[in-house]
Amino acid sequence: MDLLLDAVVIGVLLGCFYGAVSIGLSVSFGLLDVPHVAHPAFLVLASYGVYIINEHYGIDPLVAGLLITPLFFVLGLVAYRLYYETFEKRGTDAGVRGIAFFFGVAFIIEVLIIMQFGVDQRSVTATYIGKSWRIADMRIPYRMLVAFAVAAALTIVLTLYLSRTFMGRAIRAVAQDQEALRLMGVNPIKVKQWAFGIATAVLGIAGALLIIVAPVEPTLDRAYIGRTFCVVVMAGLGSMSGTIVAAIILGVAESIVLTSFGASWAPAISFAMLLGVLAVRPQGLFGRRS
Amino acid sequence: MTSSDAQLPLLRIASLTKRFGGFTALDNVSVDISPGERFGLIGPNGSGKTTLINCISGAFRTEAGTVLFRDEDITPLQPHMRTRRGIARSFQIPRPFRSMTVAENLMVALDFAAGEHVSVAQRHDAMMDILTQMGLASKANVSATQLSQVELRKMELARALATHPKLLISDEAMAGLSSSEVDEVLDLLMSLASRDITIIMIEHIMQAVMRFSDRVMCLDAGKIIAIGTPSEVMGNQRVQEAYLGT
Repeated sequence: MDLLLDAVVIGVLLGCFYGAVSIGLSVSFGLLDVPHVAHPAFLVLASYGVYIINEHYGIDPLVAGLLITPLFFVLGLVAYRLYYETFEKRGTDAGVRGIAFFFGVAFIIEVLIIMQFGVDQRSVTATYIGKSWRIADMRIPYRMLVAFAVAAALTIVLTLYLSRTFMGRAIRAVAQDQEALRLMGVNPIKVKQWAFGIATAVLGIAGALLIIVAPVEPTLDRAYIGRTFCVVVMAGLGSMSGTIVAAIILGVAESIVLTSFGASWAPAISFAMLLGVLAVRPQGLFGRRS
Repeated sequence: MTSSDAQLPLLRIASLTKRFGGFTALDNVSVDISPGERFGLIGPNGSGKTTLINCISGAFRTEAGTVLFRDEDITPLQPHMRTRRGIARSFQIPRPFRSMTVAENLMVALDFAAGEHVSVAQRHDAMMDILTQMGLASKANVSATQLSQVELRKMELARALATHPKLLISDEAMAGLSSSEVDEVLDLLMSLASRDITIIMIEHIMQAVMRFSDRVMCLDAGKIIAIGTPSEVMGNQRVQEAYLGT
């Protein structure tokens, strides 16, 4: 029983972490329909950015993550423009070819990281890494609490941004009816580009979390393709709070399977849940649109 | 044509041709629409009405011909640029942003039409103003999914108004409504027209078109077969043939 409770608590925290690394995809894939399989590769790239800043200047990884968000915002603007000009603009089968494009981008990022840093694992240092909070019989690593707090903050900020601001409303509008938005005098491509920038900027912080939670290596993105897409699809494309709930469900499921059946099963969970959701409730738990 | 020739037209469509593959949807269509005019566009299904307004609003590229709006050639402009010049349209089938309230739906349009220099409070006032005109003020905070058909049509018009149009194209805003609802929407369009908004109305409901329009144009198979006052067009032999078949 204690073991199960342990697994659930850790699972919730793990889930929040998954939520934080998925929420950008919830914008880019969930709202914009961009098949962004390079999302986890961007995430790992952000981790290496945080690693460099932490290693060279001893700056706290979360602060480092904040520092690189503007760079990632610009990276997002450029990536979307490139995708739009070369694929999306050309029409109907853009989705399929878009996946090929982003897979290519992901591999290029992997290779660039390997060329620069080699294949060894890298990690960061901070006071809260490696220590735990003891409560009753449980030990909760502080780094997981950091993940929890950051996930909550990201969800709140993004939800407010999408509901309260000028650009946020336009982003929700472009997700629903691009042509109707155009007739209101708004260039939907610019809105999508901006939104993709936001989705990528968020990865600065998410990348910091990734390397805080565990050491990273160049091909770590592959383990997160299944997880991030599972979370976003399960959430119902485009719901920010739904993303966190779905991520927690995945986190708890992984954690329970891990404690009961062993670690080798954990990676299969996300794909199994993804397929399950698509079969049973394709609109997701908190489905978008009608 | 009518006496409005003396005035500079608000919209000039010159020799417009639009083809879809081998099918000619619009064949050398030319027409001038004057500022403040209430212009009815009729024709059987597939005659090119919607194609014509898609060419005006910019959804379609044309093969030949030009569209001039306030003396400016807007043919190469994208739809959102045309909206900014003052051309708005409502859709035949309402296309609200479903995850938003009525107020938010309008704000999307107002945000961009008004620009950053207008304060949030002013934009909010402008929004409530439009909703009041449209009789939707009480629905401001209701989700767009909860509106009735006639309310959705009004919201389409309200959203179009939020872009500050000089020309409003109403694409079958009354289709499927009851006769009292048709009157409601017609009154709204009349009141907009009385405030210097030029309106092109596409409609299948003949009484509505006839009551509304200063001038009516009938398309058939992509060609103009009649243009003139409502009674002239209704009396036209070819119009009757087009509608009744020969």
